[in-house]
Amino acid sequence: MMEKLYLIARIADTRVALRSRAINSVVTVGTPVEVPAAPPHVAGLFALRSRVFTLIDPHVVIGLPAVPVAPGQRVIVVEVAEHGYALLADQIEDVCFIEAAETRIAGKLLPGWARVADAMIEHEGASLLVVDPSNFITLPALKAA
Amino acid sequence: MVQPQFLGRTGTAMDDLLNDFLAETAEILAEAGGAIVAWEADPADRAQLDAIFRLVHTIKGSSGFLALPRVTALSHAAEDALDQVRRGNRDANAALVSGVLGILDRLGDLCTALGQAGVEPAGDDRDVIGALSEQAASDEAPFDVAGVPLRRDDDFGAELQSWRSIRVPLSLLDSVMTGVTDIVLARNEFARMLRESGADLSLIASFDRLSDSIAGMRQSVSQMRMQRIDKLFSPLPRIVRDLAQEMGKKIAFQTSGGEVELDREMMENIRDPLIHIVRNAIDHGVEALEERVAAGKDVTATIAVSARQSGNQIEIEIRDDGRGLSPDALVAKAIASRLMTATEARALGPKERLELIFRPGFSTAAKITSVSGRGVGMDIVKANVEKIGGVVELRNEEGRGLTILLRVPMTLTIISGLMVRAAGQYFAIPRGAVREILLESGDTVRIDQLGGGELATVRGEQFPLLRLENVLGRERDTADDSDDRALVIVRPGQGQSYALSVAAIHDHEELVIKPAAPMIMATGLYAGTTLPDNGRPVLLLDVQGLLAAAAIDATEAGRSHDRSAEAETEAAAARNAAQLLLFRDTNGRIRGVRLSVIERVEEVPVSTLFESAGRVQVRIGEDIFPVHAATLPEGEGSVKLLRLYDGQAVLCYPIAEVIDIVRLPDAVQPSVAPGLIAGVALVAGEPVELIDPFWLMAQYAAEGAAPVLRRPLCRFADDSDGWGDNFLAPILRNAGYRVVSGEDEPDETPDVLLCIEEGAACALADGAVPVIRLRASIAAAGPEDETVYRYDRQALLDAMRRSVGGAGE
Repeated sequence: MMEKLYLIARIADTRVALRSRAINSVVTVGTPVEVPAAPPHVAGLFALRSRVFTLIDPHVVIGLPAVPVAPGQRVIVVEVAEHGYALLADQIEDVCFIEAAETRIAGKLLPGWARVADAMIEHEGASLLVVDPSNFITLPALKAA
Repeated sequence: MVQPQFLGRTGTAMDDLLNDFLAETAEILAEAGGAIVAWEADPADRAQLDAIFRLVHTIKGSSGFLALPRVTALSHAAEDALDQVRRGNRDANAALVSGVLGILDRLGDLCTALGQAGVEPAGDDRDVIGALSEQAASDEAPFDVAGVPLRRDDDFGAELQSWRSIRVPLSLLDSVMTGVTDIVLARNEFARMLRESGADLSLIASFDRLSDSIAGMRQSVSQMRMQRIDKLFSPLPRIVRDLAQEMGKKIAFQTSGGEVELDREMMENIRDPLIHIVRNAIDHGVEALEERVAAGKDVTATIAVSARQSGNQIEIEIRDDGRGLSPDALVAKAIASRLMTATEARALGPKERLELIFRPGFSTAAKITSVSGRGVGMDIVKANVEKIGGVVELRNEEGRGLTILLRVPMTLTIISGLMVRAAGQYFAIPRGAVREILLESGDTVRIDQLGGGELATVRGEQFPLLRLENVLGRERDTADDSDDRALVIVRPGQGQSYALSVAAIHDHEELVIKPAAPMIMATGLYAGTTLPDNGRPVLLLDVQGLLAAAAIDATEAGRSHDRSAEAETEAAAARNAAQLLLFRDTNGRIRGVRLSVIERVEEVPVSTLFESAGRVQVRIGEDIFPVHAATLPEGEGSVKLLRLYDGQAVLCYPIAEVIDIVRLPDAVQPSVAPGLIAGVALVAGEPVELIDPFWLMAQYAAEGAAPVLRRPLCRFADDSDGWGDNFLAPILRNAGYRVVSGEDEPDETPDVLLCIEEGAACALADGAVPVIRLRASIAAAGPEDETVYRYDRQALLDAMRRSVGGAGE
């Protein structure tokens, strides 16, 4: 059942369906602590309960300019390789089951999206890109290495 | 400290008690072993004796409760012996210590069996107990103690408590820790709200009380996972003592940094690698006594184990001053054991050659000893350390020693951190790496601009200067006062230091360090993240990484005087001045000679010794030296020679073995008449004959017999039939000459020319070099005849000596 559960959100000006497997929660953050000299998609650090999370700006991963983090901004908390991250989201819409199958991406995407998107899915009369949240985190790391 | 093999069964309440006893006993045995070795070194140390006594007493007490008669009997015997010493009825000596250690070993064996079977195995301990009491009988106590000695057991109550422990699943500890951290953050938030709401004083007072107890709880919880690394070091002195004794080596063992705290789980993972490395150092690293003297080293080798906190890592260093690794030998070994081909070996860099020891199936020992060959190699050590995210580093100085460095990460570690501000945000620096904090505008600080770089001079000592904002690639915060910047003198590692300029120093705080996300760690600038009480994450700076990022050479060598090294040299010089080399003479006697007259110790094959003209001599390399011996040693094999040197001449003194180097005793009983023995002195209660090097050298110098190191060159002329080469040259060489023949002009001017064929013109004679002419007839041609009969050995050598005024006999 879990495979069918998606978080619908607007990330980097695009509506996407995030696979919910790695998603912990959706929270709001205050002003993050900057990390000088870190890769550009690292928007900073913030604490949630007694853990420190690394804030990721998907805009940069897609190839867009970074956006400033406003206090009260909603972020999607994910866990990748035993580290906690949070993705900046423009808007969180819904968590829902989508019965439709994931399909191969048809058409040409921007290079940034082509890197992170895994598939497409049909939901309420619209096509959404299916993205695994970890793609926002691990991919730039690979690129840097 | 819990040795896993002790813990076999769990289940009933009795098993729980037993397991607790086993865990506790394992801990005690390890600690007691170390304490006893320390006590053996200084038997006057009453505190140490008391501590050992209490440890043994604890085992006895617990075992009585669990009905373990063998354990009780054993610990009782050890306790009894130690008590005799405490009362002054018995002397502490090596035999007693070995006896007690024997009992501890037996206790360890019993506990292992207990852990597996759950019951005490049947057996007889009279051997180890007997060994201890026999010793007592021969010592003959001055008086018999009547009745049972009374002891106030409540004296030991307090210490007993400190050994009580329970074991808790790690995950439970972790969740308690997270929970407490959350409570602290909630408390801070609550405190802020309370202040803002203007609550009344009684409410604030009771909140403060809650707050204090939370702070106390947080501290205890933090300590639960941490353990002083002392625990890891405590069994080592015992291992070193036993092994050194077994192998006939003298080793001074030191540990430092025992106060460093490490995660318990981590500790278990480095215990075996650490012990293995120490064993290796004793077995393979430290040379035999003679070899050390021959290499000009102190007979007593040093093995030092130290722990240090460096950023988010713990560094454990195992240093020995033994022979170090020989990269060539390693490569040869690898090829011989078919680990690689010669072609592959040639492609290896120096570092890769050393790292051959980490290859599976590689053992550096030329022969398998009882210590090595246990199937555990450096490959296992490396694997174990890497399993916990650590690294193993080698620092090799061939011939001078090997240092092995284990770096293990500190997860969930609490370190004391210094909070600094730069570019408008806070960073933490590990307090352990901070040497000094100064104001940039202070009187003791001078800052120079040097070709784009900056240099800070603090009280005459120079440091490269790093500005934190520059290293991090940030602008200075305009709100910070640029006149008021602070300098932190950072010492990231041994022999490295630099000055880090920051906008301001905030305060010290105890910080829980957690690893940062991989892409943040990859910058090399940060060692982790931490969450101080205000709830805003702070990055911990990697003080070593900052250096690398700034590409600055921060090594101290050559920058300022290394005072410690200088002091060490001075101390060594002072030692040498009055040190005595103890050795066993070939006739079995223990004799001593001042270390300063010994040039070195040679070990040469017996075949290099020869007798010439009634004197024993030895050929070492290109030189021939007299040997102080009446007859040639017999048999095959090798002989050890002390090489005495008086600044001009060398004399070799054969010995059986080197025993030790000790301080020259002040009181020496001089001999009545001058001779080989200058006098007798007491060393460790034993009379030792002191050799008189003055007399000894005089015996050989009297006739100018001790060879000068440059041996005269003799050239043969007109040696057409080879008689000179075949008959004469060996005699001359034995007498200490170098010989050249043939018509070729030698590289250096000969000291004497020997014209061999009688009546030949001797074309080589040019008047500059003295000439000796030989004749074939025994009778001289007349009183004016200066030629020498060619078979008159003595006359020939005399003539040679007159001509060159030199060596030979």
